[in-house]
Amino acid sequence: MFSVSRLWRQFLGSTWLQACAMGLFATALAFVLWAAAPTTFTGLDWAAYDLWLTNRTAIPISPSLLIVTRDPASEKEFGAGPWDRAVLARLLTSAHESGSLVIGLDYRLDHASPAQLGGATSDALLIEAMATAGPIVLVQSPDTTLASDATIPSHLLVTTHVDRVTRAVPLTANGDRQSSQAFGISLYQLFQQQASPRTPLLSEDATDSLLVNYVGDGTINALPTIPISSVWTAIEHHDRDQLTEWFKNKVVVFLPNHIGGEHWLLPTGQTVSSSVVHLHVLNMLLTGNRLSQLNQPSRTLITLLLACLVAWLLLRFRGTISLLLAGKAIATYGVFVFLGLAVADLALPLAMPLTTALSVLVAATVWSHLTGHQRLMLVEQDMLRLQQEAAAIREALILRETRTETLQEDLAAARTFISHSTGQQEELSKSADDLRSQLADAQAQENEARRKLEGLEHQLHSLRAATTEPRVFSDGELVRLRDECRQLDIMTQDSSLLRLYRDLKRGAKSPLTVLVLGEPGTGKELFARAVHRLSPRTGKTFIAVNMAAISPELFESELFGHTRGSFTGATTDRRGYFELANHGTIFLDEIGDLRLDHQSKLLRVLQERTFYRVGATTPTTVDVRIVAATNRDLQRGVSEGWFREDLYFRLSGLVFRLPPLRERTGDVPILADIFLTDIAGQMGKPVPKLSNEALRSLVEQEWKGNVREFRHCLEQAIALNDGPLLTKESLRLGSTSPTPSGRAKHTQILPDPASDAAVLNCLRQHNFDMQSAAKMLRWDRSTVTQRLKGLCFQALVEADGDQGKAALAIAGDPSHLRTVELKLMDYHDHLLSVIQPFATANEALLDCKRRFKNLPDRHFASVETLVRKYFRQERPASLGLRKGS
Amino acid sequence: MRSGLILVPLLFVSLITRLPVHSSFAQSPENGPPPVIESQPPTDDTSPTPAPAEEQTLPEPIPPKPADAVLELIELRNALRLSPDSADNRLKLAQALYNIGDLDAAIEECRMALKLESNNAKAYLQLGITQMAKQDGQAAAIALMEATMLDPGLAQAHYGLGSVQYTLGNFSAAAQSYRRALELQPSFLDARYRLALVLKLMNQHQEAVRLMEDAAIGGISQAQYFMGVAYRNGQGVDKDLSLAIRWWTKAIEFGQQRAAESLSQLRRQALSPDQPERRRTGIIEAFRQYRDGLWADYPDMARKDPNESLGAALLKDNPGAKGVTVLLAEAYALGEAAHDELVGLYETGLDTRLSQFDKRILACFATTAADGFIPAKKALARMYGKGLGITPDLQKAKAMLKGLPKQEMQGILDEIAGR
Repeated sequence: MFSVSRLWRQFLGSTWLQACAMGLFATALAFVLWAAAPTTFTGLDWAAYDLWLTNRTAIPISPSLLIVTRDPASEKEFGAGPWDRAVLARLLTSAHESGSLVIGLDYRLDHASPAQLGGATSDALLIEAMATAGPIVLVQSPDTTLASDATIPSHLLVTTHVDRVTRAVPLTANGDRQSSQAFGISLYQLFQQQASPRTPLLSEDATDSLLVNYVGDGTINALPTIPISSVWTAIEHHDRDQLTEWFKNKVVVFLPNHIGGEHWLLPTGQTVSSSVVHLHVLNMLLTGNRLSQLNQPSRTLITLLLACLVAWLLLRFRGTISLLLAGKAIATYGVFVFLGLAVADLALPLAMPLTTALSVLVAATVWSHLTGHQRLMLVEQDMLRLQQEAAAIREALILRETRTETLQEDLAAARTFISHSTGQQEELSKSADDLRSQLADAQAQENEARRKLEGLEHQLHSLRAATTEPRVFSDGELVRLRDECRQLDIMTQDSSLLRLYRDLKRGAKSPLTVLVLGEPGTGKELFARAVHRLSPRTGKTFIAVNMAAISPELFESELFGHTRGSFTGATTDRRGYFELANHGTIFLDEIGDLRLDHQSKLLRVLQERTFYRVGATTPTTVDVRIVAATNRDLQRGVSEGWFREDLYFRLSGLVFRLPPLRERTGDVPILADIFLTDIAGQMGKPVPKLSNEALRSLVEQEWKGNVREFRHCLEQAIALNDGPLLTKESLRLGSTSPTPSGRAKHTQILPDPASDAAVLNCLRQHNFDMQSAAKMLRWDRSTVTQRLKGLCFQALVEADGDQGKAALAIAGDPSHLRTVELKLMDYHDHLLSVIQPFATANEALLDCKRRFKNLPDRHFASVETLVRKYFRQERPASLGLRKGS
Repeated sequence: MRSGLILVPLLFVSLITRLPVHSSFAQSPENGPPPVIESQPPTDDTSPTPAPAEEQTLPEPIPPKPADAVLELIELRNALRLSPDSADNRLKLAQALYNIGDLDAAIEECRMALKLESNNAKAYLQLGITQMAKQDGQAAAIALMEATMLDPGLAQAHYGLGSVQYTLGNFSAAAQSYRRALELQPSFLDARYRLALVLKLMNQHQEAVRLMEDAAIGGISQAQYFMGVAYRNGQGVDKDLSLAIRWWTKAIEFGQQRAAESLSQLRRQALSPDQPERRRTGIIEAFRQYRDGLWADYPDMARKDPNESLGAALLKDNPGAKGVTVLLAEAYALGEAAHDELVGLYETGLDTRLSQFDKRILACFATTAADGFIPAKKALARMYGKGLGITPDLQKAKAMLKGLPKQEMQGILDEIAGR
């Protein structure tokens, strides 16, 4: 199951995979369509070839080709039916004597001559003539009666496509006893052998049929013909010069059969007999205008490639540009098809690629609609994972940093020691080398970790950008969403919030648990209520519980209820919030403030939807939709250990981050209007107006308390102002915003370098990242580290050895607690490792002074206190410090 | 039985006289019933074979006169009216109808005859022949088989059956039928020729040539032509061009156009500078051997000089022999001495045997000159230039001399101019 979901994720993440799948699907669909309407598709597939054939300039006619045809005059002489074979024998002999290179005869030796047509004599004459005139290409017939070694059997088959148009001839045909080549091809090969025996024969390629390049309209009239009657007259009059002029060095083809009978439709619209088609093949080969066509696998491959390309373009570039590019790709292919015919004499498939490309157009649109939501969810999951990884690496970085610093200190100490004791110089220099290499190692690892962190942050950033990528709303949709929001008391016209609302509306219909995140006053409860109202449970109960407000002792009783007599004061059965919200929605506000033991209890309910009332022995099962909200960073809580990871994942079915008011300043004027009307109405005062300047200052204000603070500010202003106009001054925004907005952090004034508080503040701002803090302060990194070390030791002394307390004092914010705690422990452990080998406090202090010479003097007092305390307690295992909670 | 004996010769005589015979292979079909038999079979074993040469050499067979046929028909119908139950009369009528080409009526009469006399082999034979003419091979085969079963000694029925089998593509069955006919009538030349052809088409050349030679000696011009071909190509015999020339010349005497063409081709090959030298000398030698061979036919004639013409010698010493014919044959075989003799004879003529400006000599010169024989060209140029027996035409004369050395050409032109 896991691998399937991972594969699915991989699939959704890769445009190429999706494009390939779509291409395959479209190709298969095209095959199905082809099977359903073969005539239409075949016609379309060859449309380019047909069009090209009828509209291009005709290919030349080979000067080596001569066709002798039956004509009315000869029919008058030899009869309308089949002719005496002696006539043919005489024609063949004359052509041979007149120097023809190759002779072809559209004739079958499939019957013995009847007595009326010369009988056996004529048959023997024809066989004799054939033997004399060298190998003659004949038409093979299944029941050959007469046999001659001097003939090359060939076939007159043609390949007719499903749309009944003849465009190709099969290279070979398999008879009962032997396979024979096409009439035109046999003649051409014989011609090649006679004319230049060294040139290679027609290369056999993968195709089993040869596309015909017709001359003119494809009829016999387009080829050089002379009537049999003229030839006969010349033979009768012994006109050898004329015969030589006609036949000398030519490929002579006799068509003694009645023209007519079988009719094959050509792309030019003409109908001809199959022998004419083969004559066009012969002319095509003689003039070197051979057309190529692709075999079925190649055609399918081209189709697949085009489909994949179009699908990729559609998936990679969304919107109109993708359609434009896909259209371009299809048009380019169309141009290729025509160029292939005009330049390379290659017939490319048309119908299949076009059909697949169009199917892909439709499929891609449907696909992006179907998977859009899933993709968004996957991106959010990725974000979460990356955040976790970033937190872990940040931690590792802290450790490396500290280790680097420690090693630097050790190195410095070793150097000092070297300068003092020259005797041990060698040994010490060796240890210095070791330390240096360790340092280099540690630095390299640190750099590596830093690089990784940067990479991850960059990835996270791009993912955020991807998720917040603005989608184009149509005006109508915007107005509709705004009106829906207004009905739910959500006043906004901010598109990001509206988009969030739209997602929330979609998500509300599912039974998934919803987690609403956002700063205080951003309207978390409003959205929680919206989830309820938009869900199918809208008719049922909505219970809002503030988790921070429930006293820890009554937590279970309040949430799960109790039975009578389960504890003192439990006089009656009481139903908890969960039971009250049965079939409805429960809103767990401030979920981030829940104690760890309560978190585990809540987790059980979330997992199983069952709980025990206090004092009850049977479980109670409820059907509750859970919506949770908090203004705290639960991911950080998970990484710092104050929020259960499993509870976090249980809660984050659908996560919505409400933007703070400063990120949607566009809503400030609307909110101001609504609030002013509302507040003035409550106070019974006329509705005042805001001056432009006041409105601007409202927009520029940072509003840390968001909408709540904003409303309070307006309430205060109306209460204290009687005039019809509220000015900037009457708003009393005060000096809360020293800068126009909180966004311009980089322009902050540098703290006083001397002040520890300033340094600490700077470190807190940079999440205790030494490098960036040092950059900010324009100090050396080790200076900042020494300052922090000093501060840590000082805090330890002040907290009387309680690491937790000390860490909290330094961190200031619980979010930095874990980082600081790690650093503090590391500093302390190092201090211990330094002083442990010494026997007395003074000796240890002497060494410490040398080692921590960069530590400010005022902080060294703390070191001294700690050292003395250690030795005073006769070096207990852990300096007698109490571990912080 | 007596009437049957009378009927057989009647039937065959009518076949011989009324049926057109193909003397040329490539001839446009005539109207009327198609030919079935090319030479008549002997009426019985003892009677000598009538010379077929006279029949074969006829340039155009005389078509049956319609008036005679109508009269004959009326007579036969009258006879039938007098004795309506006579199968013989009906058969005669059927034959007459067959001769004028009314095949359906002929078949009807045959059937009537068979109704009257169901075991009449001749009626079946006539029915088979008529159905063959109608191109109904299967029905003809059945009728002819019936005839052979009723009268196994009817050679004509076996012969007909062979032809039908051949048309149906059953070559071995055809050969068998022909063999049976020959067994019954060893002098049946046409059956011999047919059998030879079928064997030849079945690639049994040895036996085919043997039979073909008999037929050729018997005077069937096609067989003579094919003998020539067989000697030229070495099919069933050793290759021998001189014998090929001999057979072809014989066939030409019987009017076989095809043989003339083959001989003409051979001459061209001998005289054409395009041909390989070895081949040319081989052919020229073959012509010489042929001319020498002619002397063997006249053992009493003594040859004085190896280049001496037999024809000239015959004209001189033996006025009764066919001197001119031999001379012509020698000239056709590129004999220069015979040629020179003929030039003289053409201008002077020879008492009663040869008129001045004989057309045969002119035709011989024209043919050999067209094939590239230089003495003939010179002679013809002179004839054209001087207008000997033909309208003078200097252009033609000059055209004849094209390709000759300049001196020779000038000499002849001077001779023409100085007449």
